[in-house]
Amino acid sequence: MKKIFEIALGIVTSVGGFLEIGSITTAAQAGAEFSFQLIWAIVLGGLCVIFLVEQSGRLAAVSGHTIPDAIRERFGSNYFLFLLVVIGIVSLLVMAAEFGGVCVGLEMATGIGFQWWAIPVAFVIWLIIWKGTFGVIEKGVSLLGLVTLCFVVGAIAMRPPWSQIVHGVLPTLPVHDKAHYWFVAVSILGASISPYLFFFYSSGAIEDEWDESYVGVNRVIATGGMSFGSFISVAVLVLAAMLLLPQGIKVEHYSQLPLLLIPVFGKTGFWLFVASLGIACLGAALEITLEIAYLAAQGFGWNWSENQRPLDEARFSLVYTGTILLAMLVVLIGIDPLKLTVFSMALTAATLPVSIVPFLFVMNDKSYLRDYRNGWISNTVVLLIIGLAFVLSLVSIPLQIFGGS
Amino acid sequence: MATQEIHAEQLLGRRVTAINGRVVGRLQEIRVRKQTRGWYVEEFLTGDYALLDRLAGWTIGRAVLRVFGASHKTSSYRIPWDKLDLTDPQRPRLRCDVAELSPVQIEE
Amino acid sequence: MDLFRDCLDKQLLDQNKQRMGRVDGIIIEWPSDGQPRVAYVEVGAITVIDRMHTMLRQALLPLLKRAGALTDRYRIAWGKIHVGINEVRADVDAKQTPALEFELWLRKKVIGRIPGA
Repeated sequence: MKKIFEIALGIVTSVGGFLEIGSITTAAQAGAEFSFQLIWAIVLGGLCVIFLVEQSGRLAAVSGHTIPDAIRERFGSNYFLFLLVVIGIVSLLVMAAEFGGVCVGLEMATGIGFQWWAIPVAFVIWLIIWKGTFGVIEKGVSLLGLVTLCFVVGAIAMRPPWSQIVHGVLPTLPVHDKAHYWFVAVSILGASISPYLFFFYSSGAIEDEWDESYVGVNRVIATGGMSFGSFISVAVLVLAAMLLLPQGIKVEHYSQLPLLLIPVFGKTGFWLFVASLGIACLGAALEITLEIAYLAAQGFGWNWSENQRPLDEARFSLVYTGTILLAMLVVLIGIDPLKLTVFSMALTAATLPVSIVPFLFVMNDKSYLRDYRNGWISNTVVLLIIGLAFVLSLVSIPLQIFGGS
Repeated sequence: MATQEIHAEQLLGRRVTAINGRVVGRLQEIRVRKQTRGWYVEEFLTGDYALLDRLAGWTIGRAVLRVFGASHKTSSYRIPWDKLDLTDPQRPRLRCDVAELSPVQIEE
Repeated sequence: MDLFRDCLDKQLLDQNKQRMGRVDGIIIEWPSDGQPRVAYVEVGAITVIDRMHTMLRQALLPLLKRAGALTDRYRIAWGKIHVGINEVRADVDAKQTPALEFELWLRKKVIGRIPGA
């Protein structure tokens, strides 16, 4: 019974990690400009992340080590420092985008400009991490994140053309705006296959004290959670295709996004959207902040845990505090959160090989995984993901230039 | 009796050159063994196979090496401790012929 | 035992199983008339920086020195080291060593002064 409850909670938690400003924005853009054509990108991203998340959870449960631990131990300090700089910068930009998303949600709710919310939001995020435990952060925010189910309810209520949706699962070539089509596809994949997601998942498994007995539970949680998250992203795309595309509305500003829910729920739809945006972004901001601190602490061998007092892990606390301050500065400067979101998703895609290639080696290491090493299916899938990651890394920046908004 | 202090971590990846100046491979591992009075260096390992061994990358690495036709050749060697000159740690040099060295064994 | 695979870069735990950093370096002593022997394990930012490419090292060292973020190299005699599977234990108390100097300073001077720490 306890394991069933943990599975249910784990799935909900995984949804919270998957759905954030990047996946909402890119799905909305995809639907608003290309109808149902880009559903395949969400499905592909979801499948990739299911495998990566399952493997990262398995690594943690069996070995008691996280991904950054294992990468430092196998690939040495120089590669780890390179990884830290690359993933640190990209994660910080994504974190700033999520942070901006919370501020934009508050701007929509109150009419007060998003930059004014930077300092109070920074304080709230910092306070939650400072005083909260991992369980409270992980489960509390994720349960609140169930409000995003409103997108699913809305999409079903619109009575979408199911045959076209099914057709959208298969990749098709664009009929117009080819560069922009592929740019949006790359951004969706970057929003889905984010290193912070599976890095955080492995750290979370250690925080939750998973052991070998959780290998099966991990598989269910990874599959269920990431599938559920993808499902909600598809719902966002469907709503955009049915409500924004016919009116020629391209998603260029956050103020357009409540239009996904207002036609379905009326005025309540506006508040549902604001709540969804704010909570999803808050959850993601908390996760990414912690992930950056975990990455540094684990790589350098410091004390780390969200369940310990800040005083007992001063360097860990310093890193997450610094991360929040930097993200706050980005928002205070006034960088457009939507543009930052799209750019950071493309950059995430560009830097994927840095984290996934060493991950493949680690998942075949007997000293970590013993009998739970990757089989040929998992290895093949990760190799394909690496191939995809290299393609994305080559095309994402050129597409950003030629096909970006 | 002069004792040289060597930072082992700075040897990792250094090119080892033979007596004739030819590069034998990059130093990838130092194998030590416990003896009565402590742990002593037995041998140094160089080359691709030694690297794969260190990364525990045999499953993936062997498949990749096979694709590139490298599995039949070996440029990975075991260098006994007394056959490597580390007077200048930045430029490790063999004290013997390459032909005297044993190859690194593939671990299953 | 393979030094790089089994020891270098592994998590270092003290006698109380407290994390005290990673094995950033390993010192070998090579007498002119004898077999080289593993002598110490080394911990510290300087050791990590010394492993970098020369240009990076030359750029970073002055910056970190000015920021006061560098502590001296700290060595633990090999006799006090026990190499496990993917971790290394040392028969020392981390709080009594320079390995936690910056951590303890932060606790006292920065983090400890924030309410709720």
